Amino acid sequence: MRVVIADDNLLVREGIASLLREGGLDVAAQVDSADDLLREVDEHEPDVVIVDIRMPPTHTDEGLRAAHAIRASHPRTAIVVLSQHVEYGVATRVLAEHPERLGYLLKDRVIDVDDFLATLRRVVAGGTALDPEVVSRLLASGRDDGPLATLTPREHEVLALLAEGLNNQAIADRTEITLRSTEKHVSSIFAKLGLPETGNEHRRVLAAIRFLRG
Amino acid sequence: MIRWAPWEVGVDRPALSGTRLLGRFRAAEPGRAGWIALWIAVAVSELLALRPVLLDREAPIQGLDVVFTLVGGSFAAFGLVAWRRRPDSRSGILMTATGFAFFVSPLLGQLDAPLAHTIRVLAVDWWVFGFVALILTLLTRGRLQTRLDRLLVASFAIPLGIGQVLWMLFDPEQGHLLLAFPDADVAHAIDRVQRATLVACCIATVAVVAARWWRASPPRRRALLPSLAGAFGLLCFATLLINDLVSGTRSEALLWIAACSLVSVPAAFLAGLLRSRLARGGLAELFRGLGRMQGADLEAALRRALGDPSLVLALPATDLEPSAGPGRAVASVERDGGRVAALVYDASVDEDPELVEAACAAAAITLENQRLHAESHVQLAELKASRERIVAAGDAERRRLERNLHDGAQQRLVGIALQLRLLQRRIRDDPSSERLVTTASDELAESLAELRELARGIHPAVLEHGLPAALEALARRSAVPTTVACHARQRLPEPVELAAYFVASEALANVAKYSRATHATVRLWRQGPTASIEIADDGIGGADDCRGSGLRGLADRVEALDGRLRVASPHGAGTVVTAELPCAS
Repeated sequence: MRVVIADDNLLVREGIASLLREGGLDVAAQVDSADDLLREVDEHEPDVVIVDIRMPPTHTDEGLRAAHAIRASHPRTAIVVLSQHVEYGVATRVLAEHPERLGYLLKDRVIDVDDFLATLRRVVAGGTALDPEVVSRLLASGRDDGPLATLTPREHEVLALLAEGLNNQAIADRTEITLRSTEKHVSSIFAKLGLPETGNEHRRVLAAIRFLRG
Repeated sequence: MIRWAPWEVGVDRPALSGTRLLGRFRAAEPGRAGWIALWIAVAVSELLALRPVLLDREAPIQGLDVVFTLVGGSFAAFGLVAWRRRPDSRSGILMTATGFAFFVSPLLGQLDAPLAHTIRVLAVDWWVFGFVALILTLLTRGRLQTRLDRLLVASFAIPLGIGQVLWMLFDPEQGHLLLAFPDADVAHAIDRVQRATLVACCIATVAVVAARWWRASPPRRRALLPSLAGAFGLLCFATLLINDLVSGTRSEALLWIAACSLVSVPAAFLAGLLRSRLARGGLAELFRGLGRMQGADLEAALRRALGDPSLVLALPATDLEPSAGPGRAVASVERDGGRVAALVYDASVDEDPELVEAACAAAAITLENQRLHAESHVQLAELKASRERIVAAGDAERRRLERNLHDGAQQRLVGIALQLRLLQRRIRDDPSSERLVTTASDELAESLAELRELARGIHPAVLEHGLPAALEALARRSAVPTTVACHARQRLPEPVELAAYFVASEALANVAKYSRATHATVRLWRQGPTASIEIADDGIGGADDCRGSGLRGLADRVEALDGRLRVASPHGAGTVVTAELPCAS
């Protein structure tokens, strides 16, 4: 898996690169600006780009804009946007139109390298990754008297992982229940929430998010 | 009696201030005792002159004598009034002197002395000098300024001075000391020449006065009214003299008319006095309207009050040293010793100095009022700007802090966490060390989370992605389920977004703390130049405007942007917090 990393902080950039190399990934380039990122993406055509949302010169949403540009020029390239803080409003913007091959994560998540590698693989495979913090906020702010209240604790947990973008197998692995049980939970959740069943993961994520948004 | 010094009106005359205006007119003025003495002199002279009429019941009453005496009295009396009013003007003195000159003949006539008789015959008509000087110099404060004026007055000396002496030398009928060569024919011839010259002098004077009146501006014409009356009197005398010359006999009727016409001079003077009294009434109107006057209104009102349509209110901004020009006067409008403006007006308005003074005071008050008004406006604007700057500076500082936390400390901690993780992978075969590193990693993760919350509290970085995203984030964090509806497509100015965000944040915090609401809504919309944000809940209401310093601080922030923050919270019917924020851009 070929990766390009864009982060204006050297320590972070190098740290991520080292961890990914140890995990067996091919880090093709490390850059500290959006412009360099676009150039390196053109040159290396990586499988995935890891980009910090805030970069010079304005330190606002350069990373996000670069992601949009890459999405337009290299639709096959997966993009994981990292941020020092994740917000629901930004997440909807990031995932707005094409949630496939897209991730939006708190920067701290890279530290948990196994999870992070799994997320990268998932995104490269066409999936979606939404930071658990965003999902937990979504779940927390739901109304008490709505259909969410009818979910069992286990279903709640599965819904959260589902909204983060995990597929059934990953959910099963994470929750340490069988794939079969996971599938049953997912069916139950969709039925209770009145959502149409779909095999497509990122559609599933969007449906869950839309529901949670209310 | 007449000073022949040149004295130009309006040219090189120092401008006068409202407060010093009256001082200027307090020239050589008799003291209190002086005035009393003068009034007594007038009364005594009048009574003495009338003594034969009043006391001597035997003698036949000479009607004309009585008329002349009364005319003299009226000149003397009104002369004193005029003198008192305008001590700097010699017109009053001239008028008084003219009045006394009328008394010369009746008073000396009562003395049985040859010298007195001689003087009486010689000076019987010398009142004419004062009279002519008076009507020629009404506009020049009793000063004979032009050569023409002097020439005219002097010309009367030919018939009344030289002519009279010559006549007295020959006229055999009067029985005075000057009779040297009694010859009735010569005397008669001289008399005819005298009368002819006098007619010429009178007509010349009348012509000059008429021409001046014709050319004068309206306020000057008003001031010239006594001159015109005097000219009419002179015309009557000229007619009388012409009749004398043509018919050879004196017409009693014409003499009566001429004598009575003299009264028109004090009468016209009296009319002028009354008019200026009436003009003071215009001041009341002027003062009534002062409060709401602008510059142009003030000028128009001053014109009305002073009856001078040519008046100009010269402001320092446009004309620092207004020049008067001939026939114009300048009065300074002062405040606290400094000139704030000047009135340039027709010099004849100075006839009523109190009026000018009052007009200056009115102008000073109005201009001061306007100045204070403008100043307070400027100060208010400065205050507003300064409050805006303070809020903006505070925001900038918070933003800087948040940036430093995110891009500095937080990045470093992430970097260190990554290093620790790398280290952890290398020491897998040393479980105790690995445990230590894991603990450190967990601590670091906690710190990162805390730091993130801290940074969020300092400045909402999410605003970088737009107000809707930020409001969504707020709603998701709120303990009370909250829906957000944003109807503002374009981004708002940064201070407005920040204020709206903080209002929503504080209001939602209050909802969670006090309202016992089950649901809240945040609405954002823009109508024209105003963005509005409304946070409503279905709670218990009864919120106090000033509860906590949170909302009050927000009101400051909103007002710094010229906006308004309102809280409606009836008991039991929820709370609605609305902020209206003008978007200047």
